[in-house]
Amino acid sequence: MNVKTTLAAALAASAFAVLPATAQDNIKIGSSLGLTGYGSLTDGHWRDGLEIAIAAVNAKGGVLGKKLELIAEDNKSTPQQAVVVYRKMMSDDKVSAFDSGCISAGNFAAASFVSKAKLPMFLCSILPRQPDEQKWAFSFLPPPKFEVDARYDYLKSKTEVRKIGLLADPSPYSLLMRGIAEKAAAEFGLEVVANETYQQDDSDFSVQIGRINSAGAGAIIMLGQGNAVVTVANNVKNLGLNKILVLGSINERDILVATGNVLGEQFLFPSPLIQLAADDINVITKPESRAAAEPFISAMKAKFGSSDSSMASRAWDSIMMMAAAMKKANATDGTAVRDAFEALGHYDGAGASYDFSKEQHVGITKNPYVMALVKDGKLVLKK
Amino acid sequence: MPSSVELIQSLINGVGIGLVYGLVAIGFSVIYNASGIVNFAQGVFVMLGGMFAHTLLTTLGIPIWLSAIVSTIAVAGVGILVQILIITPMWVRKAPLFAIILATLAIQLLIEQIIIITLGDQPRTFPSFTPGGPLKIGEIALGYQLFWILGCGALMVYALTQFFNRTRMGRALRACSQNAEAAALLGIPVNRMLMLSFALSAALGAVAGILITPTQYTAYSVGGPFGINGFIAAIIGGFGSAPAALIGGIVLGVVQSGAIVFFGAGFKNVVALTVLLIVLLFFPNGLFGGLAKKA
Repeated sequence: MNVKTTLAAALAASAFAVLPATAQDNIKIGSSLGLTGYGSLTDGHWRDGLEIAIAAVNAKGGVLGKKLELIAEDNKSTPQQAVVVYRKMMSDDKVSAFDSGCISAGNFAAASFVSKAKLPMFLCSILPRQPDEQKWAFSFLPPPKFEVDARYDYLKSKTEVRKIGLLADPSPYSLLMRGIAEKAAAEFGLEVVANETYQQDDSDFSVQIGRINSAGAGAIIMLGQGNAVVTVANNVKNLGLNKILVLGSINERDILVATGNVLGEQFLFPSPLIQLAADDINVITKPESRAAAEPFISAMKAKFGSSDSSMASRAWDSIMMMAAAMKKANATDGTAVRDAFEALGHYDGAGASYDFSKEQHVGITKNPYVMALVKDGKLVLKK
Repeated sequence: MPSSVELIQSLINGVGIGLVYGLVAIGFSVIYNASGIVNFAQGVFVMLGGMFAHTLLTTLGIPIWLSAIVSTIAVAGVGILVQILIITPMWVRKAPLFAIILATLAIQLLIEQIIIITLGDQPRTFPSFTPGGPLKIGEIALGYQLFWILGCGALMVYALTQFFNRTRMGRALRACSQNAEAAALLGIPVNRMLMLSFALSAALGAVAGILITPTQYTAYSVGGPFGINGFIAAIIGGFGSAPAALIGGIVLGVVQSGAIVFFGAGFKNVVALTVLLIVLLFFPNGLFGGLAKKA
């Protein structure tokens, strides 16, 4: 072995020796995501938001002189696998905090041992059920009632429609929404005259829509996300029901556009402003919210093009707020970050405004949804 | 008790979707009768038909009739590729039938992933072939697309019947279904017939996909449900003739639609599968299994 080879080997060895030290200097954020299985669509967007937020934080020098590092693990949308990946990220990766996706069951399953380890969990999902676990968890999910309220409020204040029909799929989330929708109708002076169900992969909903129409409903309140709303739109059109309104659930941008292209202004849906802002930033009028939204939209478009931004925006906000809490605490240990996070106060983010506190671990307390429609292939505010 | 309008409307809707199941079922029957293979990738041809037609229509601005023709030919080409690249090598190496059938499932997953990567995962739809509508008879609404489905379904069955009964190629395909070894001894190129069966069934699936997309949507994931329903329809029809498969599809469509009326959407598949069990109990070879063994 000559001198050059020896030197090269020594340099390579020293470089490898340095790498773990560099990685150890990073602040590791663990994320349990349903990257495969039923949660892949939503959790994929959550991961997108985390990635661009961490890149943006690191571009500005990181936190406390250290870079943030995302450790994303696929929980396959199952609670069993979520437990495995949470444990792996705690024991092997030594993460400082979690910022996990929307698979509630997975987050619930891990919450007991994560809270015992005193690590904060920032979640796309609802909060775990046990009070001791909730002390360490923060939800960035808007309460489901807001989605119903936005639609009911529109009907009450902007239309003559007072009779409605519910069309829900049997998923746990939709069943929860259905219960809310049934109870909330009276608050807005609405009467539920038909209550129909559907399966996501059904190819025809004409029977259910016909029943809702026969019962005298002026609007179909669809409770359930996914592609089925496109079929509903086509069925409404093929049945010649050109007066009934279809008020869809929150959904992916592409699904909303496909549906709106069929039904035009007959189709309305609740949407967070950030989803509309991807087409027109001027819909966000509050300066603080706009200041938060602009860098997010730029980063999102640069990396993911026209991908839906609503879910990713809240993931972005969660990282920005986590970084702010770490800076405020001047520490990265779980208890300090949690306490600082609870003391952040009102925060105008890209996806919504948040009001976390010691008592309030569901951050979105004001309805972030506006009613929107599709016009010329774009999502626009319904005035 | 549902009203008569509701019943008639659901019957019409059931026939419409049933015809599409029927076209998928014919595709199953064609390949099965030529080779004994149950092609579980059949549903994916439905998806490809809709996806290709949408892409040609909206991205390239090609008229729907031309988009439909080009898409059908393209999907038939995919069917041939599947046969050449996957089925034939396994067939030649005498892989057990169940392995080939499992391979068709893998093909479905593979094609779905290719579509996600190349065309994305978002749903798409395009307008009915004839704008306007629906035709109203009293309170009953008949969407114009339904007439296209009815017309094309009938035309396809007629054309297939003529093909199998009156052309040399069709008869050759029938001979393969009766006894492949004897057909080969008589000089019929069995492998080419297998290729033809894949092309034919892929084209049928594509036509089904193009016809149904304006009434719902297409996306990478729609193939699974259509494949399952088409397979059930083929079993009800008896894997026999094209008309039998089509009737199997209509029976399934009407039963599913009726189940929603009487029991709710949650029971649609329960009722459909119960009917399937009853049919198999009394007609183990399907409703028309004993009447015809053509194609």
